[in-house]
Amino acid sequence: MSNFKKELAEYTKNLNKATQDENLTRAVTRTVKSYRQNVEAAMSQYPHTPALAEEVRTIKDYSMANNKELLERAMQAIESNHGQAFYAEDREAAMNIVKKIVGQGKIIVKGKSMLAEELNLREALQEEGNEVWETDLGEFILQLKNDRPMHILAPSIHVPREQVAEIFSKFFQKEIPADIAEEVSVVREFLREKYFAADVGISGANVVAADTGQIVIIENEGNVRLCTGVPPVHIVIVGIEKLVPTFQDAMKVSEVTWRYANYGAPGYVNIISGPSRTGDIEKVITYGAHGPKEFYVIFVNNGRQAMMSDENYRQALHCLRCGGCMYECPVFQVTAGHYGRTYLSGIGSVWTSFVEGVESAAPMLYTCLRCGRCVERCPMQIDVPKMVGRLRSEVVSD
Amino acid sequence: MTTNKHIPPVLELIRDNIIKYGNPLALNHRQNSSWIKDLDLPAKGEILFYTGGEYQLLPYLEPLLKTMTYIDPAGRTFSLLMGARKLVNFIGIAPEKIFAGMLAKDKDRYNSINYKAAYILKKLGYDLCYDAQGEIYSGALLYELGFWQDLQSYAVRVGQAIRKTQAKTVVCLSPHAAEMFKHVYPQFNEFPELEVKTFVELVWEKRDKLSPIPVDSPVVVHDSCRLARDLGISKEIRDILDSVGVSYVEPIRNKEWTTCCGGPGKMLFPEISKIIAKRRVIELTDTGASKALLACPYCLSSLQGGLNPDKPMVIEDLVEFIYRGVNHNVEL
Repeated sequence: MSNFKKELAEYTKNLNKATQDENLTRAVTRTVKSYRQNVEAAMSQYPHTPALAEEVRTIKDYSMANNKELLERAMQAIESNHGQAFYAEDREAAMNIVKKIVGQGKIIVKGKSMLAEELNLREALQEEGNEVWETDLGEFILQLKNDRPMHILAPSIHVPREQVAEIFSKFFQKEIPADIAEEVSVVREFLREKYFAADVGISGANVVAADTGQIVIIENEGNVRLCTGVPPVHIVIVGIEKLVPTFQDAMKVSEVTWRYANYGAPGYVNIISGPSRTGDIEKVITYGAHGPKEFYVIFVNNGRQAMMSDENYRQALHCLRCGGCMYECPVFQVTAGHYGRTYLSGIGSVWTSFVEGVESAAPMLYTCLRCGRCVERCPMQIDVPKMVGRLRSEVVSD
Repeated sequence: MTTNKHIPPVLELIRDNIIKYGNPLALNHRQNSSWIKDLDLPAKGEILFYTGGEYQLLPYLEPLLKTMTYIDPAGRTFSLLMGARKLVNFIGIAPEKIFAGMLAKDKDRYNSINYKAAYILKKLGYDLCYDAQGEIYSGALLYELGFWQDLQSYAVRVGQAIRKTQAKTVVCLSPHAAEMFKHVYPQFNEFPELEVKTFVELVWEKRDKLSPIPVDSPVVVHDSCRLARDLGISKEIRDILDSVGVSYVEPIRNKEWTTCCGGPGKMLFPEISKIIAKRRVIELTDTGASKALLACPYCLSSLQGGLNPDKPMVIEDLVEFIYRGVNHNVEL
């Protein structure tokens, strides 16, 4: 049997198995219901959102067409803010930069980042003898479970509280009850120590303003605030598609992102321009006051440039990663992240085609029903079914 | 024929059948046009009635699906299908014949939908033509599955078949065919210029001519993805129901937000397709209605397969439903 047939057989087996997982179906069904209710409530409370999304589509169009220039401007701005900016062509280049900054034997706390998943960042740093902790609760659960995210925003969507208790009891070597508040509390206590012991904090970014070099990170738990604010070094890894011209644009992108991610307002919006500094003693600027002394931003290409230069797929880079499309996908609703690799569901199959290649994406590309409900939900109106059709034609003519 | 290491063999089988026979399951013209019975439809005319052989495929799909379910795609069934493909190529036996022993009892029902649709349109005053000898499949699956290179030459064949009928308007029974004629083929050079209509639209235009249809309780409407989202047709179905005095209810997700019936996944992921169909049926039965109406052959087949025996519901094509109002006396 060919490799592809084997892979397809394995993939199909996993998909089918996922549909039989009652925990998963129950959890996703509940989540979809809440998501729809929440997003509806958020939209009615902030009815300007669809118009703002339209504006963001224009911003994204412009940003993709002028990405090179924005990248240059952002890197300059970051440097003038006393940060250090890097450009990485691919995974290897990105990891080399990260490894060089981090070194070996360090403690690292990291926030949730799809790009980090794409680069297998945690595993790579662990191989260098570093201790790496995921600080997003869902990601932390998956780290202990040795599992991968099943949704980009709710990575442990498929793990019910009973299973969390089991995993935590084993890890903390004490009985943790299947009580969500207790489960949250035990992680809080554990990670609190890690934030302060950590040498490096690593985060992704939702959007980057090219004019000011400011990084915007949206979150709810407060973990990003801690892992980007407490350790002496902060590294941001971000895809080049996250660049927009101005800070004002960045705010618009951010608001649309969290609104379609079903939040009226998220817990925290972190805006970071550079290392922590003070001029309180004799107006002499000194870096590393309370927060990081060193601030690094690594812009990563890894297939994005190819997507950007092809007008048939460029729009896929507009994805805000709000996750709304996945909740509307009939296949995702019964399989969650099993319909995916690093990137999930229909839009994920387009991304996978570029960051891993169409051969890797083929099973996902043929899973899409091309039903188009994701497009209805998408604030960027990304025509995933059309792209999937075109990518299938590339698979076939390969 | 090319073989590709990155696509499941079943897709190549479908492709080969479309290219070789002008039909995804290699059904021939006689099988495709057997529904016509006493309807006197000329082969040429202004308005072409186009079935694309799609409702005719439905009786074969479920038996095929039953064989495929529970067997992984790299396993025996796929080998069987590969075998079938080889037979097609080397011996000339169509897979349809291989599956002939599994013909569904629904064959008459699905075939008669073509008859009923043409009958309704004629009754409404449309002068239809139908090319029993020349009609070929729309090619929608070539488009859907990524065989875009093949589609180039297939489009020429479809164009020629349409041109032969001298039609200016094509009325499609399947929204998948309508999408091809309306959105895909116009991008191809030399494809004949056509006005593309769906059955629903033609009925909607003359809905005031329809007779009331007596029903005991409200029906629920299931919108097909292609019809509602790609062709923007959903209000028309409600208008038609209003015209025939039938009250209807809406499921939790519908119109442009409609839930897919799972049909497109049938050939590759039959188990998931079935689960999605069952979940959509739940959305429909949750309304309390005991009858669901739709206007797409694949939705009809999928949702029929997703029915829950403990919660009976009748899934009916809009064609079947309206036919009852147009002609109470003819039983087919």
